Amino acid sequence: MSDLDDFKATFFDECSELLGELEEQFAAIEAGDRTANRLNAVFRAVHSIKGGGGAFGFVEMVAFAHAYETLLDHVRDGRIELSDPVTVLCIRANDLLADFVKAARTGASLGPGYGADERAQFDALTRGEPIGSHGGDAGGAPMDEFDIDFVPVMVDLAPSAAAAPAPAEDSFANLPLTAERGHWEIHFAPHSELYSRANDPLLLFRELGNLGELTVTAKLGEIPPLADFEPYGIYCSWELTLVSPTATAASIAEVFEFVEGNCDLSIALLAGANNPPAEPTLDELAALVMPPVADDGPGLSFADLAETLKTEAPVRAPAAAPILLRPAEPAPMSAAEESDADRRGGEADRRTAVQSIRVDLDKVDRVVNMVGELVITQSMLTQQMDDTLRARYQELVRGLEVLAQTTRGLQDAVMAIRAQPVKSVFSRMPRLVRDLAQKTGKKIKLETIGEATEIDKTVIEQLSDPLTHMIRNSCDHGIETPEARRALGKPEIGTIRLSAEQAGGNILIAVEDDGGGINRDRVLQVARDRLVIGPDQQLTEEQIDNLIFAPGFSTATEVSDISGRGVGMDVVLSNIKKIGGSVHVRSRTGQGTRMTLRLPLTLAVLDVMLVRVGPSPYVVPLSSIVETIQCSRADFGRAPSGAKVLRVRGEYVQVVDLAERFELTGGAELANRFVVLCEAEGGTKVALVVDDIIGQQQVVIKSLEENFESIDGIAGGTILGDGNVALIVDVQGLKAQKLHKNAA
Amino acid sequence: MDSLAYKDDMSNGSQVNVQNSLQLIAFSIGEQTYGVEITTVREIRAWNGATPLPNTREYVRGVINLRGTIVPIFDLRARFGEGQTSPTKNHVVVVMSVGEKWVGILVDAVSDILTVSKDDIHAVPEGNTMDTELLNGIVTHESRMVGLIDLHAVVSGAKMDG
Repeated sequence: MSDLDDFKATFFDECSELLGELEEQFAAIEAGDRTANRLNAVFRAVHSIKGGGGAFGFVEMVAFAHAYETLLDHVRDGRIELSDPVTVLCIRANDLLADFVKAARTGASLGPGYGADERAQFDALTRGEPIGSHGGDAGGAPMDEFDIDFVPVMVDLAPSAAAAPAPAEDSFANLPLTAERGHWEIHFAPHSELYSRANDPLLLFRELGNLGELTVTAKLGEIPPLADFEPYGIYCSWELTLVSPTATAASIAEVFEFVEGNCDLSIALLAGANNPPAEPTLDELAALVMPPVADDGPGLSFADLAETLKTEAPVRAPAAAPILLRPAEPAPMSAAEESDADRRGGEADRRTAVQSIRVDLDKVDRVVNMVGELVITQSMLTQQMDDTLRARYQELVRGLEVLAQTTRGLQDAVMAIRAQPVKSVFSRMPRLVRDLAQKTGKKIKLETIGEATEIDKTVIEQLSDPLTHMIRNSCDHGIETPEARRALGKPEIGTIRLSAEQAGGNILIAVEDDGGGINRDRVLQVARDRLVIGPDQQLTEEQIDNLIFAPGFSTATEVSDISGRGVGMDVVLSNIKKIGGSVHVRSRTGQGTRMTLRLPLTLAVLDVMLVRVGPSPYVVPLSSIVETIQCSRADFGRAPSGAKVLRVRGEYVQVVDLAERFELTGGAELANRFVVLCEAEGGTKVALVVDDIIGQQQVVIKSLEENFESIDGIAGGTILGDGNVALIVDVQGLKAQKLHKNAA
Repeated sequence: MDSLAYKDDMSNGSQVNVQNSLQLIAFSIGEQTYGVEITTVREIRAWNGATPLPNTREYVRGVINLRGTIVPIFDLRARFGEGQTSPTKNHVVVVMSVGEKWVGILVDAVSDILTVSKDDIHAVPEGNTMDTELLNGIVTHESRMVGLIDLHAVVSGAKMDG
């Protein structure tokens, strides 16, 4: 019993992954990518959920999934066009499916009518009626318009079997099967003449498909390595399983009439077999036949078969099962986990299934923390080596060098474990945009770029909220109404572009809209009213834009009158700052706003430059340093306001003397001090003056807030090799502080 | 050391009802004795320097590395407005937990573990605002006056404004 519970738990784990996958795929489909792969992935996901659900007896879930799957099948082979309403219906179906899974997990009941509307719509669609012909909008049709009539409808597709083999799926809903039907196994290996005479196996299979329910498995074992691959070589053969009450050896042979002699063909009737394989479709067949090296095709149909067995096995004669299985396939069993991995089908998938394991995140975190400490210890050991020791213990030195390398390697490897594509966050956004577009009555299109970019998992977790706020902000305040856009000569549909890219040690995530931009006059006005800035203070455009991040500058009073939703942009800033990142906003009136998050690749270890200010060590993140200059060679000057500036390559840069700023007395002569030129957000620079530069090293970031509170200008602390604490300079914070100070 | 002092205390015959008693760690700043409840104390260590934190009040001595976590150190003398301590190796840091956080308090020396009755805790007399702000009460133990430190008050407001 507890075994079964384990399997159930695994099944639900998989369900959440599959549901995530569904969401992802539909995000892509909505964005216009309607390739067969997407649909196949969607189909597979729904199918897996249905299959697993069937194995555990979640009847309602299976019934719904089945109806949904039927619809998808029709969409996949082109009988139903994947129009926008259909997409919306599918997305709604994903939600419902998630509800069913949730209900199954918690043991709750959703009631018999749950999802009936959608199922009715599926059925209507698969019967060829246009969507919405029953009155409801796809988002959620009113209950009273449907009800009882439509639920049983899915049965009556059977008469059209000759046109399409898909109704075979109905076997699922009409368990158990009653008809005793002929079960044929056909082996088909074409010779090269077959192709040279312009015969196409696909056409043959289609023909066969008209006889009954056909499952095709391509045998790809003979495909040589690419180097030996001959373009006209024959490497493919097929195993076909035909289940048909009417087919005879003659009628099957007739199909192959024109290729007789050009292929190896064997046709055999399997006695007593009565379990038909499920749901082969022409498209599936096409996928099998067209690309000779396709590797996810054959498994699909095969997996379907295995699953049919699994579901039916308890009901039907179990003896039938082994006959249909290839020896390599594990026997159908209650282990949803194992059969599920296979069910996804294909050699490639099976390989990945073997190679990945599910690990509790806590365990990974423990490793990450220990590696972090190891890095510190290692660097401490290295620091302890002085020349005397070096000369005396050469073996030790060598050992330490190896240790250093290994540690570095270990660290990279551990970080790679934690790295995840940003896709997991990005995939939630299309839905948000859709909802917001609906609520605000705007037309908004979301483009995502660079979803495969990988970031540390902790960073990703922290990313969801800020991104949501930023996108909400773009939808609410950025994009104009369709009318306004038309009047401005812009396309009616506003675009929000969400992109991720790696730039050096940082990940840049940008949210860009082509809306109206920040209303600077309004922002300035509000800032003055709220005394965020002084009444006479003149700000650059950049400074004004950054005001929207100021605490207390809520979205409600900012730029637009739409208010009362969510929290202000200061949340974005504080969240991002918390994970060592920074936010930059750039806006062009009438053309749009671009907000960029600059995030560290990993939170655990930071490459830093160690500097001395007064008596204390400080570290500056290496990723933000542009260059270092000796003060004696630096070209200092005074801005008209009296503030100290540094001239670098024709650019004037704000100078922050850390000793002054942190009220430390170092006593070093200016000439002996150093300028560390840092890049803050959006490419703006700030020059930090420090007393000395000690060197570079890696540090593990420690939070000050854990036991204390955050300090302006300090991003955190770290522990140096000698066990002392050094503080991490918050470059952006120092710059921002300057602004506030002037304001005060 | 802990257990020894505890036993001594009991054998001295100061018969205190266990349910109603409070065990304190007593430490001194100059002539003054202060105490905190023993259950809040995590560790006592010798002063070994601290990394100063910029933009904090003078009574924040900085932060130390306590086995991989960063712990702030408060100078209790400075907190009571009597100027910064000039710490030596003989000065002591008492590491305590305040809510979720761990903080260290720099004192001159740790003197004793005291068992006192809750009934013996008196309110802090009005007058000295610093005392009323930072003390939970005053308890008399063998004719010594021990100020009960309100840790939450001691560690609050450490950041410089502006």
